[in-house]
Parts: sequence; structure tokens; C-alpha cells
Amino acid sequence: MDIFTMIFWVITLVWLGFSLKKDKGKTLKAIKMSGGMMKGIAGDILGILLLIGLILTFVPPDTIKAIIGDANEVFSAVLFALLGSITLIPAFVAFPLVASLVDAGASIVPIVAFLTTLTMVGVVTFPLEKREFGLKFTLIRNSLSFAFALVIALAMGVIL
Amino acid sequence: MTFLKSQLKNNRFLTIVILAYVAVGIFAPDKFLPSLGNTWYYVKEMLIIMPIIMLLTSLISAWVPKETIENAFGKNSGIKGSLFAFLLGSFSAGPIYAAFPVCKMLLSKGASIANIVIILSTWAVIKIPMLITESKFLGPEFMVVRWLLTTLAIFLMGYITSRFVKPEDLPTDDETATAVDGPLALNSDYCVGCGLCAKIAPSYFKMIAKKASVINQTLPPGDNLAIKDAVAKCPSQIIRFHP
Ligand code: SF4
Repeated sequence: MDIFTMIFWVITLVWLGFSLKKDKGKTLKAIKMSGGMMKGIAGDILGILLLIGLILTFVPPDTIKAIIGDANEVFSAVLFALLGSITLIPAFVAFPLVASLVDAGASIVPIVAFLTTLTMVGVVTFPLEKREFGLKFTLIRNSLSFAFALVIALAMGVIL
Repeated sequence: MTFLKSQLKNNRFLTIVILAYVAVGIFAPDKFLPSLGNTWYYVKEMLIIMPIIMLLTSLISAWVPKETIENAFGKNSGIKGSLFAFLLGSFSAGPIYAAFPVCKMLLSKGASIANIVIILSTWAVIKIPMLITESKFLGPEFMVVRWLLTTLAIFLMGYITSRFVKPEDLPTDDETATAVDGPLALNSDYCVGCGLCAKIAPSYFKMIAKKASVINQTLPPGDNLAIKDAVAKCPSQIIRFHP
């Protein structure tokens, strides 16, 4: 276990201890509820993890590297940003998926673009957003998010 | 049998992947075990992180006073309002569309356009449990740099959007629930399928194909505490209750 995860474990357990001491009923109820939510997405998580196994076995790292490692970064960032905009999966299950690509040699620029648009830009939820906030708001918010996702991705490529 | 059927329906994605594994086992048996082996590594990582995510999510929902933050909106604009918006988004659970009804409610309480953009965006990308997952799989450095850049981008986006979109541009109807003839209503478009309502008040709500439905409109006399609890706990705040 790396030091970061360890720190989070400690923080969580200490907080849990305090919480149990202060209001046991409330704490246990909250845990039961988020446990139920977890159960709801457990199937999807397992599915993604199994899919990762297949991808890593069938697609050799060299191919992954050639496609999103060495190719033009701006082009692949735009492509992955588009992909992220139309996908609607919880970010929670996206992390292991993109991590497996990075481990196989993918560049982080398209990966960051994907992660950011995945959560901030919603093509699938566009009609819902439009109904609540109007066309102008929705268009501007989504286009800005898309543009900033590219900026963040390229900036991260420079920094890291 | 019906149990199996509903499990298959609820886990369509998992079912497809398992079928793919069966196909691999038949047509490329030498790849079957390596695939499982590759999966195992990520399963182990997930198992280390899952309990913290679950516990943290519960602790946040139990102790972070979301109502207080929401109520602070009407009065605070400017920097303070934006910070509240940022906090509210960071401590909420659920996908971005769960934030729509919440934001709509805040708009009617006087929240500014910039702050609505900030809530929507932080709700989408910045979540404490998510950050932990990200740092686990992609490294702490990656997580911190992306968090800083994203935070900066979110405040900029709020500012830019408020320059272009004025409050008059937003539709005014704020009744998101579909009209029904009964005391209970919910707009299932925004249901995130968490199942809380069905768990808290099983005689009124039922999960049908991962969305909640009202199954009973007749209320017994009394406080109907279970229903009120469900209304308060629903992460997208879509349950309407007018006794
Ligand atoms: S509490 Fe019920 S209505 Fe609200 S999101 Fe969860 S399942 Fe849907």
C-alpha cells in the first residue's frame, strides 16, 4: 500500500471512530446506505475490471503506445475529449480503465482530456440540462467545459 | 429464475463481458488465464480503495451539513458564495444530472449564474472520494496537478458564463416533478437509481429498472416520517411531497 492510500485509511478510520462515538445510530445508518449504493455499481465495476484484463491481454502494449502514446497529442486529445463527452460511465470505474492504458504506455494528454470531458460535458444529458437551464446556458457551459478540458490536458502534458 | 433474470437485466454490461470471457475460453483458451491474471491486479487495487470510498461517502453524508451550505446561498454572493458553491459540489454524491434539480432549487433561492456553473462543474469533477481513487490509480502527483488546473478552470468558466448568460435567459418554470393526482410525485429523469427511497419507505417507492417509482398514493394518518426522511435523503432531491 502506498503512503497516500495509507494516510487516507488513517484519516477515514479516525473520523469513523469519532463518528461512532458521537452518534452510533446515525453513522451505521449512513454506512448501510452507501453500502447499498456500492452494491448497485459493483456489477459495473467488476465488468470494467474484467474488460481491462481482456484489453491488456489481446491488445499488445506496443499497439496502445502507437495509437495514443506517440501519435499527435493535440489530435488524440481532441479525439479522446469527444469520446469522453458521449460516454456516460461513473468516473469511479473510469480510473482503473485509463490507468491500465497509461501503464501500457499511453500518453497522459488524451487520458486527461477523456477524464475531464467524461464528467463535465454531457451530450447524453444535454436535453435534460437544456430543459432546466435553457439552450444558451447549456451550450455555453458544455462548450467551455470541452475547451477547458483540452487546455487542462495539454497543460498537464507540459507539467508532468 | 426471476431473480436470475432481474440480475441479468441489472448487470447487462457485466453479462456481456462474461460472455466475451466464455468466447475467449472456447476460441483462444491460452489467453483466458492471462486475461484473468491482468484483471486480478486491478481487482486487488480496487479492494484496497473501496472500503475507504464507502466509509468516506457515508461519513460525508452524515456529518457535512448540506442544508446549511444550501441555505447560505441566498444571502451570499461574490467570493463567499463561490466558495460555498465549490464546497457543495465537492461534498455531493452522484452523477452530474443529479445536480440539475438541486441547482434549479438554488437558482430560485437567488444563487448567481456563475455559482450554478461552479456547483455543476465541481459536482461533476471534484469529489473527495474520487480524488482518492484517482491518486490510487494514477498517482498523487497526477491527481493534485489535475485538481489545481481543474479548480482554476471551474472558477474561470463560472465567470465567463455569467458574462454571456443573464438570469432572464433561463427558463422560469421550476416545477420539475410531473403533475400527478396525489400527494407524492417524482421526476424519474433525474433519479440516480440509488434506491434510498425504496429502502427508507418501501411501501411508497419501488425500484423499477433502476429508477424509482411511486407505488402508493394513499397515506395513513400521522406524520409519515418515512416519506419525509426519503424526501430529505434523496441525493437529487426530486421527491415532492404535498400531503
Ligand atoms: S432516493 Fe429514490 S428517487 Fe431519489 S435518486 Fe435515489 S432512487 Fe431515485
